[in-house]
Formats: sequence, C-alpha cells, structure tokens
Amino acid sequence: MLHKLLQSLDNLFVFEQAKAHCDIPCGIYDPITAQIPALTVVRMLDLMNDLENKAGEKGQEYHNTFTRYVMVKEEHAEKAKHEIRVIWGDYIKAQHIEQHPELPALVHKILQLGSKVRQTIDRQAAVEFVETINQFAEIFWATKNLKTKRAKAPYAPALELVYPDL
Amino acid sequence: MCRIIKVTGESLTPLFEEGDFVLVLKIPFLSLNSGDTIVFRHDTYGTMIKQIEDISPRNGTVRVIGTHPRSQDSRSFGPVARKDIIGKVIWHIKQKH
Repeated sequence: MLHKLLQSLDNLFVFEQAKAHCDIPCGIYDPITAQIPALTVVRMLDLMNDLENKAGEKGQEYHNTFTRYVMVKEEHAEKAKHEIRVIWGDYIKAQHIEQHPELPALVHKILQLGSKVRQTIDRQAAVEFVETINQFAEIFWATKNLKTKRAKAPYAPALELVYPDL
Repeated sequence: MCRIIKVTGESLTPLFEEGDFVLVLKIPFLSLNSGDTIVFRHDTYGTMIKQIEDISPRNGTVRVIGTHPRSQDSRSFGPVARKDIIGKVIWHIKQKH
C-alpha cells in the first residue's frame, strides 16, 4: 500500500532515481531509437495543424483525434529523451567527452528541447529537437570510428536524419 | 536530510528490485559499515545504489558492489569518495511482497 502511494506520488512529482546498474554487455546502442521518436513529434505537430485547419465542426471526433495526437507527441518526446539518457549514461565514457567536449552541452540542450516540445506546439523547436539528436548521432557514430551520412527520412515529415555510412 | 529515491536496474536483485523505493538518510559524519546500502553519485553513471563491500581505513573511500554478477560497481570503476555519497538507505519500500 505504501509502495502504491509512493508510486502515485512518483507519477506526479518524479522522484530521483538511483541505478542499481547492471551492464549486461549486449553493446547494442543506436541513436536511431531517439531520432525516430523526435521525428514523430514533428509529425504529430503537422497532423495537429492539419486537423485544426480542416473545415467542419470541432466536435467529439475532433477532440478525440486531437487528444490522441497530443498524447503521441508527449510519449515520443519523452521516449527520445529516455533513449538519449540511456546512451549518455550507459555508453558514453569520459574519453568520448574528452574527444567531443561539446557533448555535455548538446545532451543538455536535447533534454531541454524534449521538454519544450512537450510543453508547446512550437514546430521550430521540434525540428531543432530532431537536428540536435542528429548531431548527437554524428558524435555517437564518430566514437565508433564510423562515418555518417544525412538522408531525408522516407516518410513524412521527411526531415534529414543521420545514419551510419556502412 | 532524508529523501525518497526510486531504484532502477537489476544489479542488487533479489535484495532490491526495479521499481522499489528507498528512504535515504544523509547526515554529516554518518557512520558507514560493510553491508550498508548507499546511494552515491558517479560521474559517468549518475546516481547509483550499491552495497558497501569495504571501507578504506586510510582515506575513507568506499568500495561498493552489486549482487548481480554483471553489476557495474567498484570492480569496474573503483572506490567511491565520501563526498560523492548521497546517503545511506534506512528504509526499503518493496514493490512486491
């Protein structure tokens, strides 16, 4: 019962977390797990905009669809932040930061943008969210001595994503 | 002095499970002993929770260990300085009974 109470409070206020970290060395890290959710945020904003500009009554159907877009935007912004935190906490080591001293500020910026795109409907911020995660991806692949390439995502909103050039 | 912290990860299973909460007490000159569970900050891994394996009588640094064989702990990142210790776990609120 006490745990349930604390869990409810955690849902509201989010307690600090302590990792009983267990690094099962699967070694599978890929920033695409953050890039795609960030892209989804832009997509949801576009869908929200389309829906808003559509003619017709804004009844229950409208509100239901709009709410669903907002929920997906929320979920994917948080997912992108989570994936960045995982790579930052579990993969990035001190020597990577020495090689890429801009990395801590970049991660901080990503996390702040992730919050901003949840709080607002600022498309420019969402595009910047995608771009900063792209920059993170470029650094990530550089730590593995892999070149990267930029290509438009083959789906709306067709923004550029960074991929390893294999 | 006291703070509630949520446990993530599995390196202290079965003692502490993912999703458990702990009450952590921080008082200056808190006495620590082998076997105590502490929460501390690590530059790379952030806030961590581990058990004390032993304490250096020379400089007071603490070696920490998890119960899982693949735990990331002092075996991989060395001892923890006193200044990085957030506090000692004084109450454990388990998710499952």
